[in-house]
Amino acid sequence: MYEERFDKRKFDELRPIEAETGIIPNADGSARFRIGNTEAIAAVYGPTEVKPKHLEKLDRAVIMCKYDMMSFSVPDRAKPGVDRRDMEIGEVITNALNRAVMVEEFPKSMIGVYVYVTQADAGTRCASLTAASMACADAGLPMRDLIAAVAAGTVGDSVVLDLTKEEEDYEGGTTDVPIAFLPSKNEIVLLQLDGAVSREDMKKVIEVGKVGALKIYEIEKEALKRRFSNESKS
Amino acid sequence: MNLENNEYLREIADKGERLDQRKPVQRRAINIKRKVINHADGSAYVELGQTKVMAGVKVLEGVPYPDKPDEGSLIVSFEPTELADDYPKDRLIYGVEVGRVTDRGIRESRVIDMKKMVIEAGKKSFFVYIDIYALNNDGNLLDASNIAALAALLDAKFKRTPESEPESLPLDLQKMSFSSTFVKIGKNVFLDPMRLEENASDAKISIAVSTAVNSMQKGGVGFFTPEEVDFCIGKAFDLGGELKDLLTSSPK
Repeated sequence: MYEERFDKRKFDELRPIEAETGIIPNADGSARFRIGNTEAIAAVYGPTEVKPKHLEKLDRAVIMCKYDMMSFSVPDRAKPGVDRRDMEIGEVITNALNRAVMVEEFPKSMIGVYVYVTQADAGTRCASLTAASMACADAGLPMRDLIAAVAAGTVGDSVVLDLTKEEEDYEGGTTDVPIAFLPSKNEIVLLQLDGAVSREDMKKVIEVGKVGALKIYEIEKEALKRRFSNESKS
Repeated sequence: MNLENNEYLREIADKGERLDQRKPVQRRAINIKRKVINHADGSAYVELGQTKVMAGVKVLEGVPYPDKPDEGSLIVSFEPTELADDYPKDRLIYGVEVGRVTDRGIRESRVIDMKKMVIEAGKKSFFVYIDIYALNNDGNLLDASNIAALAALLDAKFKRTPESEPESLPLDLQKMSFSSTFVKIGKNVFLDPMRLEENASDAKISIAVSTAVNSMQKGGVGFFTPEEVDFCIGKAFDLGGELKDLLTSSPK
Protein backbone atom coordinates (compact mmCIF):
# COMPACT_ATOMS: atom_id res chain seq x y z
CA MET A 1 0.00 0.00 0.00
CA TYR A 2 1.29 3.41 -0.95
CA GLU A 3 -0.72 5.70 1.32
CA GLU A 4 1.60 8.64 1.81
CA ARG A 5 3.96 9.96 -0.83
CA PHE A 6 7.69 10.00 -0.12
CA ASP A 7 7.75 13.80 -0.33
CA LYS A 8 4.40 14.20 1.54
CA ARG A 9 2.61 15.67 -1.47
CA LYS A 10 -1.07 15.00 -2.08
CA PHE A 11 -1.72 12.42 -4.78
CA ASP A 12 -2.86 15.07 -7.26
CA GLU A 13 -0.26 17.67 -6.29
CA LEU A 14 2.55 18.87 -8.56
CA ARG A 15 6.08 19.51 -7.39
CA PRO A 16 7.15 23.19 -7.14
CA ILE A 17 7.42 24.72 -10.61
CA GLU A 18 9.56 27.49 -12.08
CA ALA A 19 9.07 28.74 -15.62
CA GLU A 20 10.78 31.53 -17.52
CA THR A 21 11.30 32.49 -21.14
CA GLY A 22 13.88 34.46 -23.09
CA ILE A 23 16.88 32.92 -21.33
CA ILE A 24 18.93 32.45 -24.53
CA PRO A 25 19.35 35.79 -26.31
CA ASN A 26 20.68 34.31 -29.58
CA ALA A 27 17.63 32.10 -30.08
CA ASP A 28 14.36 33.26 -31.61
CA GLY A 29 12.61 31.80 -28.60
CA SER A 30 13.76 30.06 -25.43
CA ALA A 31 12.49 28.78 -22.11
CA ARG A 32 13.45 27.07 -18.89
CA PHE A 33 11.00 24.81 -17.10
CA ARG A 34 11.68 23.29 -13.72
CA ILE A 35 9.45 20.89 -11.83
CA GLY A 36 10.87 19.67 -8.52
CA ASN A 37 14.45 18.64 -9.25
CA THR A 38 13.84 18.12 -12.96
CA GLU A 39 14.85 20.97 -15.21
CA ALA A 40 14.92 21.45 -18.99
CA ILE A 41 15.99 24.34 -21.19
CA ALA A 42 14.81 24.80 -24.76
CA ALA A 43 15.78 27.03 -27.66
CA VAL A 44 13.95 27.59 -30.94
CA TYR A 45 15.64 28.82 -34.11
CA GLY A 46 13.51 29.52 -37.14
CA PRO A 47 11.66 29.37 -39.38
CA THR A 48 14.75 29.16 -41.59
CA GLU A 49 15.60 27.38 -44.82
CA VAL A 50 15.66 23.60 -44.58
CA LYS A 51 19.00 21.89 -44.11
CA PRO A 52 19.49 19.19 -45.30
CA LYS A 53 17.44 20.20 -48.30
CA HIS A 54 15.88 16.79 -49.05
CA LEU A 55 13.85 16.97 -45.82
CA GLU A 56 11.95 19.99 -47.08
CA LYS A 57 8.14 19.76 -47.33
CA LEU A 58 6.26 21.78 -49.92
CA ASP A 59 3.16 22.43 -47.82
CA ARG A 60 4.51 22.90 -44.30
CA ALA A 61 7.47 23.57 -42.05
CA VAL A 62 9.61 20.72 -40.80
CA ILE A 63 10.24 20.65 -37.08
CA MET A 64 13.73 19.40 -36.26
CA CYS A 65 13.97 18.49 -32.63
CA LYS A 66 16.86 17.36 -30.52
CA TYR A 67 16.54 16.12 -26.96
CA ASP A 68 19.71 15.53 -24.96
CA MET A 69 20.66 15.12 -21.34
CA MET A 70 23.63 17.00 -19.98
CA SER A 71 26.28 14.59 -18.78
CA PHE A 72 25.97 15.74 -15.17
CA SER A 73 22.15 15.71 -15.11
CA VAL A 74 21.97 12.16 -13.78
CA PRO A 75 23.53 10.36 -10.78
CA ASP A 76 26.07 8.57 -13.04
CA ARG A 77 27.68 10.43 -15.90
CA ALA A 78 25.69 10.33 -19.14
CA LYS A 79 28.04 10.20 -22.10
CA PRO A 80 27.61 13.49 -23.99
CA GLY A 81 25.61 13.09 -27.18
CA VAL A 82 22.34 11.59 -28.32
CA ASP A 83 21.61 7.94 -27.53
CA ARG A 84 18.64 5.75 -28.51
CA ARG A 85 16.48 6.98 -25.65
CA ASP A 86 17.23 10.60 -26.54
CA MET A 87 16.31 9.93 -30.17
CA GLU A 88 12.97 8.40 -29.25
CA ILE A 89 12.09 11.26 -26.94
CA GLY A 90 13.12 13.74 -29.62
CA GLU A 91 10.69 11.97 -31.94
CA VAL A 92 7.67 12.04 -29.58
CA ILE A 93 8.36 15.68 -28.77
CA THR A 94 8.49 16.47 -32.50
CA ASN A 95 5.13 14.75 -33.02
CA ALA A 96 3.48 16.73 -30.23
CA LEU A 97 4.93 20.03 -31.47
CA ASN A 98 3.69 19.33 -34.99
CA ARG A 99 0.14 19.36 -33.67
CA ALA A 100 0.64 22.49 -31.57
CA VAL A 101 2.60 24.69 -33.99
CA MET A 102 0.79 25.75 -37.17
CA VAL A 103 3.42 24.28 -39.44
CA GLU A 104 1.22 24.78 -42.51
CA GLU A 105 1.89 28.52 -42.20
CA PHE A 106 5.57 28.07 -43.13
CA PRO A 107 5.93 25.89 -46.21
CA LYS A 108 9.46 24.90 -47.27
CA SER A 109 11.02 26.00 -44.00
CA MET A 110 12.50 24.48 -40.91
CA ILE A 111 12.00 25.13 -37.22
CA GLY A 112 14.82 23.92 -34.99
CA VAL A 113 13.80 23.01 -31.45
CA TYR A 114 16.62 22.03 -29.11
CA VAL A 115 16.04 20.78 -25.59
CA TYR A 116 18.65 19.97 -22.96
CA VAL A 117 17.93 18.43 -19.57
CA THR A 118 20.15 19.99 -16.91
CA GLN A 119 18.80 17.94 -14.00
CA ALA A 120 16.86 14.70 -14.08
CA ASP A 121 14.52 13.51 -11.35
CA ALA A 122 11.76 11.79 -13.38
CA GLY A 123 9.44 13.47 -15.84
CA THR A 124 12.21 14.79 -18.08
CA ARG A 125 10.33 14.29 -21.36
CA CYS A 126 7.31 16.16 -19.99
CA ALA A 127 9.42 19.02 -18.66
CA SER A 128 11.27 19.11 -21.99
CA LEU A 129 8.08 19.24 -24.05
CA THR A 130 6.60 21.94 -21.85
CA ALA A 131 9.81 23.98 -22.16
CA ALA A 132 9.86 23.41 -25.94
CA SER A 133 6.27 24.58 -26.28
CA MET A 134 6.98 27.73 -24.26
CA ALA A 135 10.05 28.40 -26.41
CA CYS A 136 7.92 28.10 -29.58
CA ALA A 137 5.43 30.59 -28.15
CA ASP A 138 8.32 32.85 -27.12
CA ALA A 139 9.59 32.69 -30.71
CA GLY A 140 6.22 34.07 -31.81
CA LEU A 141 5.25 30.98 -33.81
CA PRO A 142 1.51 30.70 -34.43
CA MET A 143 0.16 27.84 -32.32
CA ARG A 144 -3.16 26.08 -31.82
CA ASP A 145 -2.40 26.05 -28.10
CA LEU A 146 0.47 25.70 -25.66
CA ILE A 147 1.40 22.16 -24.68
CA ALA A 148 1.21 21.25 -21.01
CA ALA A 149 2.88 17.94 -20.24
CA VAL A 150 3.12 16.00 -17.00
CA ALA A 151 3.71 12.45 -15.87
CA ALA A 152 0.91 10.67 -14.06
CA GLY A 153 0.65 7.03 -13.16
CA THR A 154 0.16 4.48 -10.45
CA VAL A 155 2.45 3.83 -7.50
CA GLY A 156 1.42 0.70 -5.63
CA ASP A 157 -2.35 0.87 -6.00
CA SER A 158 -2.63 4.66 -5.85
CA VAL A 159 -3.11 6.95 -8.83
CA VAL A 160 -0.59 9.77 -8.55
CA LEU A 161 0.42 12.92 -10.39
CA ASP A 162 3.96 13.98 -11.25
CA LEU A 163 6.06 11.03 -10.09
CA THR A 164 9.56 11.47 -8.67
CA LYS A 165 12.46 9.11 -9.38
CA GLU A 166 11.95 7.63 -5.94
CA GLU A 167 8.35 6.81 -6.82
CA GLU A 168 9.32 5.41 -10.21
CA ASP A 169 11.58 2.98 -8.38
CA TYR A 170 8.94 2.03 -5.77
CA GLU A 171 9.18 -1.68 -5.01
CA GLY A 172 5.43 -2.26 -4.89
CA GLY A 173 5.16 -1.59 -8.62
CA THR A 174 4.89 1.60 -10.61
CA THR A 175 3.38 2.60 -13.91
CA ASP A 176 4.58 5.82 -15.44
CA VAL A 177 2.37 7.60 -17.99
CA PRO A 178 3.83 10.74 -19.57
CA ILE A 179 0.92 12.67 -21.01
CA ALA A 180 0.67 15.99 -22.84
CA PHE A 181 -2.39 18.07 -23.60
CA LEU A 182 -3.37 21.00 -25.72
CA PRO A 183 -5.49 22.01 -22.73
CA SER A 184 -7.98 24.36 -24.35
CA LYS A 185 -8.66 21.83 -27.14
CA ASN A 186 -8.77 18.78 -24.88
CA GLU A 187 -6.32 17.04 -27.23
CA ILE A 188 -3.74 14.51 -26.08
CA VAL A 189 -0.59 14.96 -28.16
CA LEU A 190 1.83 12.73 -26.27
CA LEU A 191 1.05 9.55 -24.43
CA GLN A 192 3.36 6.76 -23.39
CA LEU A 193 3.12 4.03 -20.81
CA ASP A 194 5.21 1.30 -19.40
CA GLY A 195 4.03 -0.94 -16.60
CA ALA A 196 0.70 -2.56 -15.89
CA VAL A 197 -2.49 -0.67 -15.25
CA SER A 198 -6.20 -1.50 -15.42
CA ARG A 199 -8.59 0.26 -17.78
CA GLU A 200 -10.36 1.97 -14.84
CA ASP A 201 -7.08 3.19 -13.38
CA MET A 202 -5.94 4.43 -16.77
CA LYS A 203 -9.06 6.59 -16.93
CA LYS A 204 -8.16 8.07 -13.53
CA VAL A 205 -4.55 8.55 -14.62
CA ILE A 206 -5.67 10.62 -17.59
CA GLU A 207 -8.03 12.61 -15.37
CA VAL A 208 -5.37 13.45 -12.84
CA GLY A 209 -2.95 14.19 -15.69
CA LYS A 210 -5.42 16.70 -17.05
CA VAL A 211 -5.71 18.37 -13.64
CA GLY A 212 -1.92 18.72 -13.53
CA ALA A 213 -1.69 19.89 -17.13
CA LEU A 214 -4.22 22.65 -16.52
CA LYS A 215 -2.14 23.97 -13.62
CA ILE A 216 1.04 23.85 -15.70
CA TYR A 217 -0.84 25.61 -18.52
CA GLU A 218 -1.59 28.58 -16.25
CA ILE A 219 2.06 28.77 -15.12
CA GLU A 220 3.24 28.73 -18.75
CA LYS A 221 0.90 31.56 -19.67
CA GLU A 222 2.03 33.58 -16.64
CA ALA A 223 5.68 33.17 -17.64
CA LEU A 224 5.00 34.28 -21.20
CA LYS A 225 2.99 37.29 -20.06
CA ARG A 226 5.77 38.25 -17.66
CA ARG A 227 8.25 38.20 -20.47
CA PHE A 228 6.25 40.47 -22.70
CA SER A 229 5.37 42.91 -19.95
CA ASN A 230 9.10 43.15 -19.16
CA GLU A 231 9.84 43.93 -22.76
CA SER A 232 7.28 46.67 -22.99
CA LYS A 233 8.93 48.45 -20.05
CA SER A 234 12.39 48.56 -21.61
CA MET B 1 30.11 32.06 -41.39
CA ASN B 2 27.43 34.65 -41.72
CA LEU B 3 27.45 37.69 -43.94
CA GLU B 4 27.79 40.68 -41.69
CA ASN B 5 29.03 44.11 -42.49
CA ASN B 6 32.12 44.39 -40.36
CA GLU B 7 33.28 47.66 -41.85
CA TYR B 8 31.86 49.90 -39.14
CA LEU B 9 33.24 47.72 -36.40
CA ARG B 10 36.68 47.74 -37.99
CA GLU B 11 36.52 51.47 -38.53
CA ILE B 12 35.92 52.26 -34.86
CA ALA B 13 38.42 49.55 -33.84
CA ASP B 14 41.13 51.59 -35.56
CA LYS B 15 40.35 54.37 -33.08
CA GLY B 16 40.48 51.89 -30.21
CA GLU B 17 36.69 51.99 -29.77
CA ARG B 18 34.17 49.18 -29.39
CA LEU B 19 30.48 48.66 -30.12
CA ASP B 20 29.56 48.48 -26.44
CA GLN B 21 31.77 51.41 -25.37
CA ARG B 22 34.21 49.19 -23.52
CA LYS B 23 37.88 50.11 -23.26
CA PRO B 24 40.26 47.91 -25.29
CA VAL B 25 41.38 45.97 -22.20
CA GLN B 26 38.09 45.71 -20.38
CA ARG B 27 36.14 42.55 -19.73
CA ARG B 28 32.35 42.30 -19.81
CA ALA B 29 30.53 41.81 -16.49
CA ILE B 30 30.89 38.32 -15.06
CA ASN B 31 28.14 36.62 -13.10
CA ILE B 32 28.95 33.32 -11.39
CA LYS B 33 26.35 31.01 -9.84
CA ARG B 34 27.79 28.05 -7.98
CA LYS B 35 26.25 24.70 -7.04
CA VAL B 36 23.47 24.79 -9.61
CA ILE B 37 23.10 21.07 -10.44
CA ASN B 38 22.10 18.57 -7.76
CA HIS B 39 23.45 15.45 -9.47
CA ALA B 40 26.87 16.97 -10.24
CA ASP B 41 29.73 16.66 -7.75
CA GLY B 42 30.49 20.32 -8.46
CA SER B 43 28.81 22.76 -10.83
CA ALA B 44 28.63 26.37 -11.92
CA TYR B 45 26.74 28.64 -14.27
CA VAL B 46 28.66 31.58 -15.69
CA GLU B 47 27.55 34.62 -17.64
CA LEU B 48 30.22 36.69 -19.37
CA GLY B 49 28.13 39.50 -20.77
CA GLN B 50 25.56 37.63 -22.84
CA THR B 51 27.74 34.54 -23.21
CA LYS B 52 26.36 31.82 -20.97
CA VAL B 53 27.86 28.43 -20.08
CA MET B 54 27.23 25.70 -17.56
CA ALA B 55 29.88 23.35 -16.18
CA GLY B 56 29.53 20.19 -14.12
CA VAL B 57 32.15 18.00 -12.46
CA LYS B 58 31.83 14.26 -11.94
CA VAL B 59 34.45 12.22 -10.10
CA LEU B 60 34.30 8.55 -11.11
CA GLU B 61 36.55 5.52 -10.77
CA GLY B 62 38.49 4.34 -13.79
CA VAL B 63 41.59 2.52 -14.94
CA PRO B 64 44.70 4.76 -15.00
CA TYR B 65 46.43 5.34 -18.32
CA PRO B 66 49.47 3.09 -18.86
CA ASP B 67 51.87 6.07 -19.09
CA LYS B 68 50.66 7.46 -15.74
CA PRO B 69 49.79 4.40 -13.65
CA ASP B 70 50.06 6.25 -10.33
CA GLU B 71 47.87 9.25 -11.17
CA GLY B 72 44.24 10.13 -11.57
CA SER B 73 43.02 11.68 -14.81
CA LEU B 74 41.34 14.84 -15.99
CA ILE B 75 38.88 14.81 -18.88
CA VAL B 76 37.44 18.11 -20.07
CA SER B 77 34.74 18.16 -22.71
CA PHE B 78 32.95 21.11 -24.21
CA GLU B 79 29.59 20.76 -25.91
CA PRO B 80 28.81 23.69 -28.20
CA THR B 81 25.05 22.72 -28.27
CA GLU B 82 22.44 23.87 -30.74
CA LEU B 83 21.01 26.12 -28.03
CA ALA B 84 23.88 28.55 -28.20
CA ASP B 85 23.72 29.75 -31.80
CA ASP B 86 22.69 28.72 -35.27
CA TYR B 87 25.92 28.54 -37.23
CA PRO B 88 26.57 24.81 -37.41
CA LYS B 89 29.84 25.18 -39.27
CA ASP B 90 31.39 27.51 -36.70
CA ARG B 91 30.28 25.16 -33.98
CA LEU B 92 32.34 22.25 -35.24
CA ILE B 93 35.49 24.31 -35.17
CA TYR B 94 35.20 26.15 -31.89
CA GLY B 95 33.65 23.14 -30.16
CA VAL B 96 36.82 21.14 -30.30
CA GLU B 97 39.12 24.08 -29.71
CA VAL B 98 37.38 25.38 -26.58
CA GLY B 99 37.38 21.96 -24.95
CA ARG B 100 41.00 21.25 -25.70
CA VAL B 101 42.33 24.66 -24.69
CA THR B 102 40.32 24.69 -21.45
CA ASP B 103 41.64 21.20 -20.73
CA ARG B 104 45.24 22.30 -21.26
CA GLY B 105 44.95 25.35 -19.02
CA ILE B 106 43.68 23.25 -16.13
CA ARG B 107 45.90 20.23 -16.75
CA GLU B 108 49.20 22.06 -17.20
CA SER B 109 48.70 24.31 -14.20
CA ARG B 110 48.50 21.13 -12.07
CA VAL B 111 45.76 22.72 -10.00
CA ILE B 112 44.54 19.21 -9.13
CA ASP B 113 47.16 17.04 -7.45
CA MET B 114 46.56 13.93 -9.52
CA LYS B 115 49.02 11.88 -7.46
CA LYS B 116 46.45 12.01 -4.66
CA MET B 117 43.72 10.70 -6.96
CA VAL B 118 45.07 7.18 -7.35
CA ILE B 119 43.36 4.29 -5.57
CA GLU B 120 45.59 1.41 -6.56
CA ALA B 121 48.57 2.11 -8.82
CA GLY B 122 48.09 0.76 -12.32
CA LYS B 123 44.63 -0.59 -11.52
CA LYS B 124 42.25 2.02 -10.21
CA SER B 125 42.19 5.78 -9.96
CA PHE B 126 39.74 8.67 -9.92
CA PHE B 127 38.80 10.38 -13.16
CA VAL B 128 37.74 14.00 -12.89
CA TYR B 129 35.29 14.78 -15.68
CA ILE B 130 34.54 18.43 -16.38
CA ASP B 131 31.69 18.81 -18.87
CA ILE B 132 30.94 22.29 -20.14
CA TYR B 133 27.83 23.22 -22.11
CA ALA B 134 27.39 26.45 -24.05
CA LEU B 135 23.92 27.93 -23.57
CA ASN B 136 24.38 31.20 -25.45
CA ASN B 137 27.32 32.26 -27.56
CA ASP B 138 28.09 35.95 -27.65
CA GLY B 139 31.80 35.43 -28.14
CA ASN B 140 34.69 34.31 -25.98
CA LEU B 141 33.25 30.98 -24.88
CA LEU B 142 36.78 30.06 -23.89
CA ASP B 143 37.17 32.48 -20.98
CA ALA B 144 33.64 31.76 -19.80
CA SER B 145 34.31 28.01 -19.90
CA ASN B 146 37.58 28.42 -18.02
CA ILE B 147 35.90 30.27 -15.15
CA ALA B 148 32.95 27.87 -15.06
CA ALA B 149 35.28 24.87 -14.96
CA LEU B 150 37.35 26.33 -12.12
CA ALA B 151 34.25 27.33 -10.15
CA ALA B 152 32.83 23.81 -10.52
CA LEU B 153 36.16 22.30 -9.39
CA LEU B 154 36.29 24.55 -6.32
CA ASP B 155 33.01 23.19 -4.99
CA ALA B 156 33.43 19.58 -6.11
CA LYS B 157 33.07 16.95 -3.41
CA PHE B 158 33.69 13.24 -3.86
CA LYS B 159 33.82 10.10 -1.75
CA ARG B 160 37.00 8.02 -1.70
CA THR B 161 35.00 4.98 -0.64
CA PRO B 162 31.22 4.52 -0.47
CA GLU B 163 31.39 4.80 3.35
CA SER B 164 33.73 7.78 3.64
CA GLU B 165 32.70 11.40 4.12
CA PRO B 166 32.59 13.57 0.98
CA GLU B 167 35.79 15.54 0.59
CA SER B 168 37.04 18.32 -1.67
CA LEU B 169 39.40 17.68 -4.55
CA PRO B 170 43.12 18.06 -3.74
CA LEU B 171 43.38 21.55 -5.23
CA ASP B 172 46.24 24.00 -4.99
CA LEU B 173 44.48 27.33 -5.31
CA GLN B 174 47.77 29.13 -6.04
CA LYS B 175 47.92 27.16 -9.26
CA MET B 176 44.49 28.00 -10.65
CA SER B 177 45.10 29.25 -14.16
CA PHE B 178 42.83 31.90 -15.60
CA SER B 179 42.26 32.46 -19.29
CA SER B 180 42.24 35.84 -21.03
CA THR B 181 41.34 36.04 -24.70
CA PHE B 182 42.28 38.93 -26.99
CA VAL B 183 41.45 39.64 -30.61
CA LYS B 184 43.31 41.78 -33.07
CA ILE B 185 41.16 43.95 -35.29
CA GLY B 186 43.21 45.99 -37.74
CA LYS B 187 46.16 47.24 -35.70
CA ASN B 188 44.57 47.19 -32.26
CA VAL B 189 44.17 44.49 -29.62
CA PHE B 190 40.97 44.01 -27.57
CA LEU B 191 40.22 41.86 -24.53
CA ASP B 192 37.15 39.60 -24.28
CA PRO B 193 35.64 39.88 -27.77
CA MET B 194 31.90 39.67 -28.29
CA ARG B 195 30.73 37.49 -31.16
CA LEU B 196 30.60 40.38 -33.62
CA GLU B 197 34.17 41.30 -32.72
CA GLU B 198 35.29 37.69 -33.08
CA ASN B 199 33.76 37.58 -36.55
CA ALA B 200 35.40 40.83 -37.58
CA SER B 201 38.79 40.02 -36.10
CA ASP B 202 41.98 39.11 -37.91
CA ALA B 203 43.49 37.01 -35.16
CA LYS B 204 42.76 35.78 -31.68
CA ILE B 205 44.96 34.73 -28.79
CA SER B 206 43.98 32.99 -25.56
CA ILE B 207 46.41 32.92 -22.66
CA ALA B 208 45.89 31.02 -19.41
CA VAL B 209 48.17 32.02 -16.56
CA SER B 210 48.66 30.97 -12.96
CA THR B 211 52.10 31.82 -11.59
CA ALA B 212 53.39 30.86 -15.02
CA VAL B 213 51.87 30.88 -18.49
CA ASN B 214 50.11 27.51 -18.72
CA SER B 215 48.47 27.53 -22.10
CA MET B 216 48.33 29.66 -25.19
CA GLN B 217 46.35 29.33 -28.37
CA LYS B 218 46.56 31.62 -31.35
CA GLY B 219 43.59 31.52 -33.69
CA GLY B 220 42.45 33.28 -36.83
CA VAL B 221 44.27 33.91 -40.07
CA GLY B 222 45.97 37.16 -38.99
CA PHE B 223 49.12 37.63 -36.94
CA PHE B 224 50.48 39.07 -33.70
CA THR B 225 53.88 40.74 -33.36
CA PRO B 226 56.17 39.51 -30.56
CA GLU B 227 55.56 42.83 -28.78
CA GLU B 228 51.81 42.29 -28.91
CA VAL B 229 52.13 38.77 -27.53
CA ASP B 230 54.24 40.10 -24.68
CA PHE B 231 51.68 42.85 -24.03
CA CYS B 232 48.85 40.28 -23.90
CA ILE B 233 50.80 38.04 -21.52
CA GLY B 234 51.42 41.00 -19.22
CA LYS B 235 47.74 41.86 -19.22
CA ALA B 236 46.78 38.21 -18.70
CA PHE B 237 48.78 38.16 -15.46
CA ASP B 238 47.05 41.32 -14.19
CA LEU B 239 43.63 40.05 -15.23
CA GLY B 240 44.21 36.58 -13.78
CA GLY B 241 44.53 38.10 -10.31
CA GLU B 242 41.27 40.00 -10.76
CA LEU B 243 39.47 36.86 -11.90
CA LYS B 244 40.78 34.91 -8.96
CA ASP B 245 39.44 37.48 -6.51
CA LEU B 246 36.12 37.49 -8.33
CA LEU B 247 35.84 33.71 -8.28
CA THR B 248 36.86 33.15 -4.68
CA SER B 249 34.54 35.92 -3.47
CA SER B 250 31.54 34.72 -5.53
CA PRO B 251 28.67 33.53 -3.34
CA LYS B 252 28.37 29.78 -2.92
